[in-house]
Amino acid sequence: MNAIFRALRALPTLLKVGVAEAVAYRAEFVIWLLTTTMPLVMLALWSEVAREGGPVGGFTGADFTAYFLASFIVRQLTGCWVAWDMNREIREGTISMRLLRPIHPLAAYAADNAAVLPMRLVLSLPIALAALYFAGRDHVTHDPAMLGLFCVTVAGAWLLSFSIMSIIGSLAFYIDSTLAVADLWFGLFFILSGYFVPIRLFPGWLQAAADALPFRAMLGLPVEELIGMQTRASALRGMAIEWAWVLTCWTGAVVLFNRGARKYSAYGA
Amino acid sequence: MIQVTELHKHYSVHRRPPGLWAAFRSVVRRPTEIVKAVDGISFSIEAGERVGFLGPNGAGKTTTLKVLSGLLFPTSGSALVAGHVPFRRETAFLRQITLVMGQKQQLLWDLPPSETFELNRALYEIPKTQFHETLAELTELLDLERVSKVPTRQLSLGERMKCELCAALLHRPKVLFLDEPTIGLDVSMQSALRGFVRAYNERFGATVLLTSHYMDDVLALCPRVIVIDKGRLRYDGKLADLTHTLRPEKRVAVRLSRAIEAADLDRFGKLTERGPDRVVFQVPQDALRDRVARVIAELPVADMTIEDPPLEEIMRDLFAAPASP
Amino acid sequence: MARDVRYARLLGAQLRIAGLTSLQYRADFYTDAVMSVFWLAVNLAPLLVVYGHEKTLAGWSFPEALVVIGWFTVLKGILDGAVNPCLTAIVEHIRKGTLDFILLKPADAQFLISTAKLSPWRAVDVLGGLGVLVLAFVRLHRWPAPAALLSALLLLGAAVLLLYSLWILAVSVAFWVVKLDNLAFLFGSIFDAARWPIGVFRGIWRFLFTFVIPLAVLTTYPAMALLGTLALRTGLLAGLCALAFFAFARVVWGQAIGHYTSASS
Repeated sequence: MNAIFRALRALPTLLKVGVAEAVAYRAEFVIWLLTTTMPLVMLALWSEVAREGGPVGGFTGADFTAYFLASFIVRQLTGCWVAWDMNREIREGTISMRLLRPIHPLAAYAADNAAVLPMRLVLSLPIALAALYFAGRDHVTHDPAMLGLFCVTVAGAWLLSFSIMSIIGSLAFYIDSTLAVADLWFGLFFILSGYFVPIRLFPGWLQAAADALPFRAMLGLPVEELIGMQTRASALRGMAIEWAWVLTCWTGAVVLFNRGARKYSAYGA
Repeated sequence: MIQVTELHKHYSVHRRPPGLWAAFRSVVRRPTEIVKAVDGISFSIEAGERVGFLGPNGAGKTTTLKVLSGLLFPTSGSALVAGHVPFRRETAFLRQITLVMGQKQQLLWDLPPSETFELNRALYEIPKTQFHETLAELTELLDLERVSKVPTRQLSLGERMKCELCAALLHRPKVLFLDEPTIGLDVSMQSALRGFVRAYNERFGATVLLTSHYMDDVLALCPRVIVIDKGRLRYDGKLADLTHTLRPEKRVAVRLSRAIEAADLDRFGKLTERGPDRVVFQVPQDALRDRVARVIAELPVADMTIEDPPLEEIMRDLFAAPASP
Repeated sequence: MARDVRYARLLGAQLRIAGLTSLQYRADFYTDAVMSVFWLAVNLAPLLVVYGHEKTLAGWSFPEALVVIGWFTVLKGILDGAVNPCLTAIVEHIRKGTLDFILLKPADAQFLISTAKLSPWRAVDVLGGLGVLVLAFVRLHRWPAPAALLSALLLLGAAVLLLYSLWILAVSVAFWVVKLDNLAFLFGSIFDAARWPIGVFRGIWRFLFTFVIPLAVLTTYPAMALLGTLALRTGLLAGLCALAFFAFARVVWGQAIGHYTSASS
């Protein structure tokens, strides 16, 4: 319990330092921004498909535009790279330094990753929002309750993303090819989260599978909430599944990391 | 062999005051400062010399070494090594020099050092017979028999350093730049390394430029020292003379055959140490003979040594004194 | 002449080292092979979904789009197997300050870093891509004409050259901006758009992907060459483009080395 309080007390400072660090590396930040090009490419693709062949499964060109722009925003807000950082630090032994500090490393990583959000918001949001606005006002939900649900869903999506990335990163304590696992994860995420195509366009059985898995909650759900494709009931149902996953994955991350750290200290760097 | 004239190397670094607001402001506006790593130094080294480059951290030693090996280009001034301009990095130039950096290595990490040796042979186009000859010599001198076939990542720091030296010398360079080569090594390894460098210099007549924090390195290897502080030259000359110029005193250490009570030992010299059976005096050079004679006459001396003050102290003095403009 | 022989010999030495190093990590073969198959499936999925809804996309039929994906996979294999490893290693060297050793060697630095590392197991990707190409032509009920095959191979060469040059450009940036862990990722993201025939993009995107970052040269044009639909003029322009990028990248690299200040001792 003490550990949690300590972490919370240190959080403001950690965040402040994290933001300063994020800001210091301007170019790296721009590059990160640019890596989220996938939704924009998909936007071009699917608009073209809709243009040539008419609405796809109920999605018009404008629907696609709204969907992928929202996708871009949500991805900016929830993307986490902690798996790579952890993998590198464990391999190089620099994680020892984190283990020596009185703050749990996961809390420190979380602060680092959360600290980049202000910058990302400042730089990407205006652009995306303006574009969303022009793409179609009707494509953003006007329901204030829905917007509230959206914020909660995004927070959950961030936590989920972070937890799962931490799990993958912690694997570096146990196995060598952590990066392959991360790759695998991204492949699955690519399809099952609605990143490449809205889940609604999947065949029925795949949709049902995608609903049960955590991927959808990480992207598809908040996006659809933002652009008004979810009813309140369905959104709440989706969020229930999401937060169940958040709990499971967060616990998993903490357990896996702690066990791994103990094993690591036993055998040395 | 090495000629440096009015060398300057300046860096621009970003200065940012702490705090969140300053951090955000730095996104759009970044005030920069010029740091003068090397601020106008000149010296010249003959072929076959062994020279020690001394100075506190941040003095500009490594920067000078990097300029001389062609890794950095000077802001102004000139440097000539073996008749070449270093930063042009001509092949003929690169074949004559080598740079060894403590704690950084050129050895391939995943493979045994023998593979790095092979690669260097191809890189430097060393003829086969000469390569095998040199490798045999170096293996013997450095005792590499057991370690050169083990993957580098499994070797200890000392073993790695020995292999590193071997890899660096395969092409029989005429100029050796050694940047803190003994850092992190244990005492026996340090002394082995020093012995090796000295042997190499005497055997092949290579010029050695060594930077180090360890005074023992300098004492053992370098008859001549160049002292740099804050990018400026503070001293260039014989190590012995440095001692005499800065601390023209000798240390007289006396072991007494019986304890004495005498209180006014100051008449022999400045008392720096006083134990039950040992006293150490600091005596000015010109009064040495006289004082020593008196000590022997008036104290129960069992044993006596006369030595220079330790180099560390001399260095400390040198750096503490303000630089002359 | 002597210089060419020298570099040929040096290439041999470097490749030997790269081979030995990757043999040290034999287990990677299995993971790489499995990931190859996985990614092939993931790459084909979008295509299947799109073509499930309509017959042609921007004038490209399903088998024709398969050709583009096939080239994409082949190129990705070459990128991940030969280009990526070297250039990620370079960023590491810059970070650790060991780039100095490379610069001290009496050989061209760009050559040395470009031939230092290999992931030969990525050959599985290349084989997979070739498999897709074969599949595409089976579905088209015809085979490419020998002339088409030749021009496609030439354009493959141009594509590899272009890819390499883009990477050198990206890495040169790493000299100015030291913290660049995401480099490989950024590159992958942009390269990813090359899986689609260029006709899919309109307006500003098409301009961007044809002239600024010529993804069209990478996959669409070789695909068109293989299908026999590439105009000679376009093919020649593609080749020139690749050469121009190569020259430009070399110049930028030279500048970057000039500005290099190694990490603190």
